[in-house]
Amino acid sequence: MPKIPIVMPQLGESIAEATILRFNVAVGDTVEADQEIIEVETNKATMGVTTLCGGVVQEILAKEGVSYAVGSILGTVEASEEEIERTGVSTVSQGVSDAKEEQERQVEEDEANLHFKTEDGGYFEPKNVSPTVQGLPVPTGKAGAHYISPRMRARMNELGLRAADISAIAGSGGGGRVTVEDLEGFLEYISEWPASPASPMRLAVADAMRRSWTRPLATVGHPVVMDKLLDHRREQYPKPGLTLYVLRAFALALAEHPSAAGFLIGEKIVHPRSFDIGCAVQVEDGVMVPVIRHVDTKSVSELSEEYSELVDQSRDRRLPEAATKGGIATVTNFGTFGLTWGTPIPLPNETLILGISAGVKRPVWSDEVNAFIPVTEAELALTFDHRVIDGGDAGRLLKRVAELLSKPEDL
Amino acid sequence: MNGLLMNEKNVCGTVKERSRLAPQSVEMKYRDAYLTVIFTMGQTKEHARKVYQAMVRSRLLEMKFSSLYKAGQIVGGVYLGKGQEAVSASVGARLEPGKDIFAPLIRDQAGRTAFGEDMLDATRTYLGSAQGPMKARDGNIHRGRPSEGVVAMISHLGSSLSVVGGMLKAREIQGKLAGCVGATCIGDGATSTGSFHEGLNYVAVEKLPVVVVVANNQFAYSTPNSKQYACVDLIDRAQGYGVAGHSVDGTDMLACAETIAKAVDTARAGGGPQMVVAKLLRLGGHGEHDDGSYIPEEIRNSTYGRDCIEVGKQQLLEKGWLSEEELTEWQEAAKMEVQEAVKTAQKEAGPNPYNEDWSALAESRFKEAHT
Amino acid sequence: MSVTYIEAIREAQYKALETDERVFLYGQDIGEFGGAFKATKGLKEKWPDRVMDAPISEDAMIGMAVGAAIEGMRPVVEMQFADFSSVGFNQIVNNAATHYYRTGVPIPITVRMPSGGTPGSGPFHSQSIEAIYSHYPGCIVLTPATVSDAYHMLLEGIALDDPVIYCEHKLLYRWLKSDDFEGDGLPIGKARITRPGKHATVVAYSAMVHEAVRAAEMLQSEGWEIEVVDLRSVKPLDTDTVIASVARTGRLLAVGEAFPWGGVTAEIVSRVVKEAFHLLDAPPMRLNAKDTPIPYHPKLWAAHRPTPESISHALKELLAY
Repeated sequence: MPKIPIVMPQLGESIAEATILRFNVAVGDTVEADQEIIEVETNKATMGVTTLCGGVVQEILAKEGVSYAVGSILGTVEASEEEIERTGVSTVSQGVSDAKEEQERQVEEDEANLHFKTEDGGYFEPKNVSPTVQGLPVPTGKAGAHYISPRMRARMNELGLRAADISAIAGSGGGGRVTVEDLEGFLEYISEWPASPASPMRLAVADAMRRSWTRPLATVGHPVVMDKLLDHRREQYPKPGLTLYVLRAFALALAEHPSAAGFLIGEKIVHPRSFDIGCAVQVEDGVMVPVIRHVDTKSVSELSEEYSELVDQSRDRRLPEAATKGGIATVTNFGTFGLTWGTPIPLPNETLILGISAGVKRPVWSDEVNAFIPVTEAELALTFDHRVIDGGDAGRLLKRVAELLSKPEDL
Repeated sequence: MNGLLMNEKNVCGTVKERSRLAPQSVEMKYRDAYLTVIFTMGQTKEHARKVYQAMVRSRLLEMKFSSLYKAGQIVGGVYLGKGQEAVSASVGARLEPGKDIFAPLIRDQAGRTAFGEDMLDATRTYLGSAQGPMKARDGNIHRGRPSEGVVAMISHLGSSLSVVGGMLKAREIQGKLAGCVGATCIGDGATSTGSFHEGLNYVAVEKLPVVVVVANNQFAYSTPNSKQYACVDLIDRAQGYGVAGHSVDGTDMLACAETIAKAVDTARAGGGPQMVVAKLLRLGGHGEHDDGSYIPEEIRNSTYGRDCIEVGKQQLLEKGWLSEEELTEWQEAAKMEVQEAVKTAQKEAGPNPYNEDWSALAESRFKEAHT
Repeated sequence: MSVTYIEAIREAQYKALETDERVFLYGQDIGEFGGAFKATKGLKEKWPDRVMDAPISEDAMIGMAVGAAIEGMRPVVEMQFADFSSVGFNQIVNNAATHYYRTGVPIPITVRMPSGGTPGSGPFHSQSIEAIYSHYPGCIVLTPATVSDAYHMLLEGIALDDPVIYCEHKLLYRWLKSDDFEGDGLPIGKARITRPGKHATVVAYSAMVHEAVRAAEMLQSEGWEIEVVDLRSVKPLDTDTVIASVARTGRLLAVGEAFPWGGVTAEIVSRVVKEAFHLLDAPPMRLNAKDTPIPYHPKLWAAHRPTPESISHALKELLAY
């Protein structure tokens, strides 16, 4: 026979619970519809709980003297189908045979529905606490040259502009802020100038450099004597690229101090998995950086063929996407342009870039021959993310590279 | 008008009755004499039976509401008219559905029933059925069918009085006022509100056919009369407003039926606003969440603590206007009717918040998209 | 020949009484006396049964109107001053405004609210109450700023099936004139661009529209082109037109004569910030009356409410951002 729940009623608008004073019936008793079978007490009044329909008290789940939340199932009455039809009441939900289960199910439901439901049938207000962490730094001015209004931001996003793009605009707003009218005026002004679309390559390099430039980058330099290296290279066939020697020396130096190539993400330094070094190749309207794998484990001569292939692929614009991934540092030979000094910028996903300048013949005093002798000297320039390493580490790394380059036969 | 008023007071004896210093026996004696006069005038038997049948039906319906509440089936409050049925039913029974206007308050199930309310309206509203007259947007005693002459009360007491006045005034403008009456029920507490004052003053000024029935049940929630008003009797106020006044013992079914019938008939006949003050006791708490434990024993045991249903039963049996058998028939029929209405409402779906039209405006084109 | 704002209100009531026999007027002193501001002058003579004097009972007046509306009438209630509607507040917000939602029976009443300040009127004859009634679901709140709006919006409001709070500005009664009532056909719920501009948007309503236009004129000599939007109705609020204007200008100043805490101007700003954050080139501003009761003395009163000077001052601050 179907079972009808005996429910703790809502005995007042602000009542969350009531205490059972006594049961007027026991399990097995026959009850009539609307009979007051339990006496309960709220903090306002003493009241009766009634049955919805006649039947036999099947179980009593509540205890005298205990407080129950409104909506709790206090017991069940077993009723005939006819009685249920007559009164139109709903039975304990189908598929749940045990009223105890039904009670638990109901509690779960209630908890999902009532914001203030707790095990104690109420909600304890949170205690007042003082803030334990310091809040954000508070800006002193409401606007300034660098402030970008919501509308400026939206307009710049629409046009694909970055903060760097509007650096040319003198702001007329508060604190020298560039207003949206300044921006529109500037756009109108430059519309009269000749312009051409930037190539996808140009845009890609621009994007990478802009992202990289968000970091505190520093550059240190160190000279390196090239004569032995040039001699060694001349003896090889085919002649390996000069860059390849630098790549190899750089990889070996990093293998000795891998943390220098670590990458800072939040509060973690991410370390290299393998010493894969990229090499910057100038191509039409941009730069490509193919990555050579495991440079620390292969000699210059072993790397030579792979290196040439990658450089050719880059220049022909047929470098596979995968060949540009996974580098931990990059080497750039800006000496090929005849430059004697530079401050290269690392890729945004790398901490280091090592540049090498053009070799220059210089008189160097030799104690051995007690005279100036001509040597070919180049400059190594290492740019690093100062968040990860400091000047000393960078200097030691650079010296070690120079040292390795002075023994080309070991490379 | 003045002549009628004076005459009215003499007939009903309100001047004498409101002198509460008179011993109760004198009041009772006077009432009997008065009833003898009135009830020999014919047409009274059927009216009294109509009033009493509504009382019986209403009491059984309200007992069911109480039980549903105590079984956790009704959310919100349940406010019962137990002990006030004689007054309330006397109002509803004297009004003509489809023609008159009735603005019940919280203890007027009997009046609603007498005025022809379908029990389903009540059960659907209490049980939150979406098919109720308020579509579950408002509950319990706030229901109404304004376009059928039943004002849907708001919780701000006294505010229905001017609404009833406006409904009647509209009919006056429309040339449809003749023979109409508007009645509203309130309690002793509501007579302290500004709205009551403004409304009663308004209907008095406009001489509208309004009957204001004050059920002075001696407690506004828990506040006794002594903290509610300072006049000797609330009926004293009638003269101040320039309306006719009638006092009655609200536990005396026949007296209520007759006095209120008289007030309604006088208003209908063009006698201007009528104010009835019925003294009685609320036989319970303010709502079913309240046990009324603050009501002193001596008041419970006084004449006003009588149950008007019992009084009415004895009165009708004594007069031979009702037999025990017929009463049992009434009760059984009412129980069936109540059970049927509860069963229907229980099985009906509640409102669906996802399908709800969340606009308070009749002009739905103004529903704001930007909120 | 010219017509004034108050004449427009009288003429609209004349027209409503003439064309719709469900309409009646109800208010204190509105009968033979013709109303405290003469908005009903001569109407009682023509329609003795439909122009009725009320006792000083704002609660009962609205209650009466609610009852009459239930019976199919279209009452137009005149509050002698908008300030006094606080006494009828309960009937408006709890009875009239909830009625349709609760019972399905609409309450087509129009409550005329002589609103806003005039010199020397003091704390209880100067208030602007549009925000209070807008806060409650179920009310429509109209704030006409022009003679033709005063005429057409009152007629349109009377024809609506909901409680209409019609805020008529006392300062405009005789000060504002027009050649005729001819309007531009804008319906209730649509704002109007009163003055086009491109540097900043001023959103105003009722008498403040005119103060905003003057402020815009003052700034014109300095090369600023200020757009003025007249909301016309504060509920419904035409957010689309406001946002379209902010899209043109990027800067927003909301001006209202009501007290500063919350209210219509706050609602405008909150909607624009939420829906058009990306269109703002400066933080949106509000300008309202001061947070004190409205002072009696004309000098204090003039400093209490927004004026062309204070509006242009606020605009300069906005434009300098």
